[in-house]
Amino acid sequence: MMEMFNNYEVVKHFPVIAVMGLFLFAFLIEIFGAKCKIIRNTLTLIATGGAFALILGLIPMVFGEGNVISYWMGDWKPVAGYAIGIGYEVDALSLFFGLLVSGTFFLSSIYSIKYMSRDHHLGHYYTLFLMLSGSVLGLVLTGDIFNMFVMIEIMTFASVALTAFRNKKGIALEAGFKYLILGSIGSSLVLAGIAVLYMQCHTLNMAQISSIIGGAGLNPSLVFAFALMFAGFGVKSYIVPFHTPAADAYMAAPSSISMVFSGMVNKAGVYALIRLTYTIFNAMDIPAVNILLVTLGAITMFIGVTMALAQHDFKRLLAFHSISQIGYVITAIGLGTALGLSSGLFHAMNHTMFKGLLFLCAGAVFYATGTTDLDKLGGLSKRMPKTTICFLIGAFSISGLPPFNGFASKWMIYQSVYAKGVESGNFAYIFATIVALVVSVMTLASFIKVTQAVFFGQLPDKLKDTKEVPFAMRLPMWIMSGLCILSGVFYRFVDVNVLYPVRNAAFGVKNYISSMLGGEAAAAASNVSSEEFFTLWDPKLWLILFAIVLLAVCIVVLLGDKTLGAVRKNKASEESDGKYATFFGGEKSTHSHVAGSDLFWGFKKDFKGYFKFMQGMHSGSVNDYALYVVVGTALIVATMFIFVL
Amino acid sequence: MFKKIIAKSMSKSPWIYHVNTGSCNGCDIELVAVITPRYDAERFGFKLAGTPRHADIVVVSGPITSQSKDRLARTLEQVPEPKVVVSIGSCPQSGNVFKGSYSVEGPLEKYTHVDVAIAGCTPKPEAIIEGLYKAAQILQEKREAMEK
Amino acid sequence: MSETVVTMLTNAFSVLVFPGLLFVMIVGLLLAGIDRKVLARMQKRKGPPVLQPFYDFFKLMGKETIIPDAANRRVFLAAPIIGFVSLVVMVVLIPIGGYTPFGITFNADLIVMLYLLTIPAVALIIGGSSSGSPYAGIGISREMVTMMAYELPLVIVLLTVALKVGGGSFCFSLGEISAWQETNGALITHWELIPAAIAFLFVIPAEVGTQPFDVAEAETEICEGPLVEYTGAPLAMFKLNTAIKMFVMTALFTVLFFGNAVATEYLALNALIVVAISAGITVLSMTLAHAVCARLKIEHLFKFYWTVVTALAAISLVLVWCL
Repeated sequence: MMEMFNNYEVVKHFPVIAVMGLFLFAFLIEIFGAKCKIIRNTLTLIATGGAFALILGLIPMVFGEGNVISYWMGDWKPVAGYAIGIGYEVDALSLFFGLLVSGTFFLSSIYSIKYMSRDHHLGHYYTLFLMLSGSVLGLVLTGDIFNMFVMIEIMTFASVALTAFRNKKGIALEAGFKYLILGSIGSSLVLAGIAVLYMQCHTLNMAQISSIIGGAGLNPSLVFAFALMFAGFGVKSYIVPFHTPAADAYMAAPSSISMVFSGMVNKAGVYALIRLTYTIFNAMDIPAVNILLVTLGAITMFIGVTMALAQHDFKRLLAFHSISQIGYVITAIGLGTALGLSSGLFHAMNHTMFKGLLFLCAGAVFYATGTTDLDKLGGLSKRMPKTTICFLIGAFSISGLPPFNGFASKWMIYQSVYAKGVESGNFAYIFATIVALVVSVMTLASFIKVTQAVFFGQLPDKLKDTKEVPFAMRLPMWIMSGLCILSGVFYRFVDVNVLYPVRNAAFGVKNYISSMLGGEAAAAASNVSSEEFFTLWDPKLWLILFAIVLLAVCIVVLLGDKTLGAVRKNKASEESDGKYATFFGGEKSTHSHVAGSDLFWGFKKDFKGYFKFMQGMHSGSVNDYALYVVVGTALIVATMFIFVL
Repeated sequence: MFKKIIAKSMSKSPWIYHVNTGSCNGCDIELVAVITPRYDAERFGFKLAGTPRHADIVVVSGPITSQSKDRLARTLEQVPEPKVVVSIGSCPQSGNVFKGSYSVEGPLEKYTHVDVAIAGCTPKPEAIIEGLYKAAQILQEKREAMEK
Repeated sequence: MSETVVTMLTNAFSVLVFPGLLFVMIVGLLLAGIDRKVLARMQKRKGPPVLQPFYDFFKLMGKETIIPDAANRRVFLAAPIIGFVSLVVMVVLIPIGGYTPFGITFNADLIVMLYLLTIPAVALIIGGSSSGSPYAGIGISREMVTMMAYELPLVIVLLTVALKVGGGSFCFSLGEISAWQETNGALITHWELIPAAIAFLFVIPAEVGTQPFDVAEAETEICEGPLVEYTGAPLAMFKLNTAIKMFVMTALFTVLFFGNAVATEYLALNALIVVAISAGITVLSMTLAHAVCARLKIEHLFKFYWTVVTALAAISLVLVWCL
């Protein structure tokens, strides 16, 4: 059995089967599963689980032996040195994202079964769901840039339909419409970029384009194509100013889909950006590109988090945090250093875990109570204790509290950004470090707000009968929570076994080209610097010390149990309720819940002007949003022409 | 070992929660005077707590009006054991000049056991300090009684 | 075999006795006592005995613990302990007089310190939030805004120190910063870092939560904020946490701005020196401000930190960068 995974001739078919299988099952569900629940669920689980298994099967080949899997569709091999067929090329970078994609979709499909059971027309839902998963998986595995565009198109339209799936709500239709318009603009930018690129290089294979550009250098047309595609992928990964549809879409879509959007669909944009800058154009040695990415990243994280502070809907808040966290990733990958890329990828991976977890928690709250409005919720921790624990793990991870995974990756990001600043002598990086550190606290602040508004505080009378969500929904949440802790504590393991090969693949353009086209084409190559961490964070030792002290405290408490004041476990019968009631300055305790929307007014008051401006900018009008995309693209093109040429 | 330290600490660090049950504000001002630099009750460890949950000594001033009766009861309930109740001024003891009013439902003894009563209208700060000091000793005794 | 036992015993000793649990409890409460005593003397009062915080602590230990009905029992009880333990573990990582029981690089990193400092604050917030009281709701909101307020100047100060010490290279390790000062003189004597030091002095009271920056626990307005429902032992834990935070912050100041420049060969003497400097800084940054100022409003506090204190820190950063 294990032999199979080491046999290149067998393994090389896996990526294509995974992608094709997902598309095939999408249609099977539409044919057989429209009426019958059991067939539908089984087919979905088989498709996503099978895809996940196939991608897992690639690990020994790609991570273990460092191979790059290349596969020509229909065996259309290059003719006279020019790639004319569609090629699938799976290096460690593709596989890394492929694993995240297929894993996320698998968990999401488990969650969907229970979560979506109250909706109608589920046949369409699962069809679209599998279309989406197939397209995102295809996007990260393909080696052909036009194929990538096709996948982006399928992804966009499946996303639009899924965003508007609960179309009885006006907000869902509105969100779908915004997504449609802006997604189309983004795709068009990518298409325009690809057209220019094709004109220049006469090929659509990424490896070959990379080799041609590496040999001939950049000319104005190529820079234009680069800028257009940069902006197009920027729209797909929702960096500011292209972030506007994300907030609506993540809020309106069902949570199982929000999780996928936040976990993978915007990560696909990040993947495309990495491919574009690292592999195709090999542009990470150009300081202007670094500065552009870091600046965009810093702006994205700041605007994302401040907008999140102003939200009063659970899922909308999470959506803005997705934008903010993508800012971290973009900043880190924009550095072009080894540690920077590792930390960015690590953060992308962690973001998939904790943000997926948080969206699932939001979905659980919605499932149990029917709302995600922070002002209407409260005190759920007594009714939904398990969801609360999952949420706290997710919240602590995203806010970067040690020893959770968010801390490990953010800590790597700070190090890499600061080190780049010290090395290059550019103050912008130091400034970006400061922004990143402050944004992290603000992230914590807004999750404290959610914690207070949803899980702690007082329980409204309406929610007295709330029940914990079923096990089928909790299972993916527990898995994600476990991954959050494990990848935080054993981050060195992840770093050495996963991130090293991935980062070598991203920098090893030469290898990428030669394994696709044979030994003939190889011009560009990057040096893989093997920089290590500057200082050490050892969560295991920290946890051991923590445990020792905790043990000591527990022993003291146990020994002194008699002497210490009594902890009342249950009310003694003769005592009245008053003793255990909440203190209200002597008044009878009533419902007075401090909800989320106004929690940080001290902060908001000082930033009144800023918040007013930002709220004005996020007007909800598609015209404005389209304008931002156009202006943003124009700025990127201008920057590229001024600084890169 | 801890028993002795804890019992001793009880008398050394009594935290006060002050409830005004319709007082004319005279006693309240005198109570505040007690923590000013001139009288400085903090040298005995006295401190005004912000909530009854933190309090050891509940100081009640005023003749217990009907409006404040329930609120007083609730506040007293919420103080963790061991606790000491101190009445300050003549009003909680006898109703003082308010006695006989339709809205006065004193004295304080009707609702709770009063450990120390500081008489006077208003009592001098020195008297208040002495009363509170005694209350602190009673607190220690109560803690020792709880041990047994 | 015997070697591992010895290592384990020394590790346990450093976590539980010095510079861990026992040491930090005693020193923390002592600093809190000094703070109260000196404050009283500044106001021409006699003041409580220096051991007063010990009495408070033990008294609270002996009181009944009430868990309100609205509270989430587990979180309510676990929060103070987690905050306490993480603080104690943090102290072990601070190189007191260059003493690093777990090696010079282990975890004693500026960024790690910054994040470990947030755990006790989060413990306070989560604990208060779980008590279900609206006063606590307002308290945690203020605590969080305070945290956002001081974080910006604190971050800039830390990066300034790192830049100064590192020069053209990367240096976040507290041990290295401490050692650097042995040869180059204490950082406080470098004039361009004096604004940063002042900014740090301002950060300390906000981080610890003493007047005039104790808006989160304003006992006269919001009934001690997050602590409103806490009684007995958990409350004692939180009070202890505040006291330990005093030591942590002042010790951090000592490491950052005095470092090994004040260290001697003897560990006990070093500890004494650090405690003495900590006491001095406590008086300078916390007691003085407490005696002089009334409590700020939350929006004033935020504005103060993001303008005045940040400007001080930024001046140092720019000076260090340019020189």
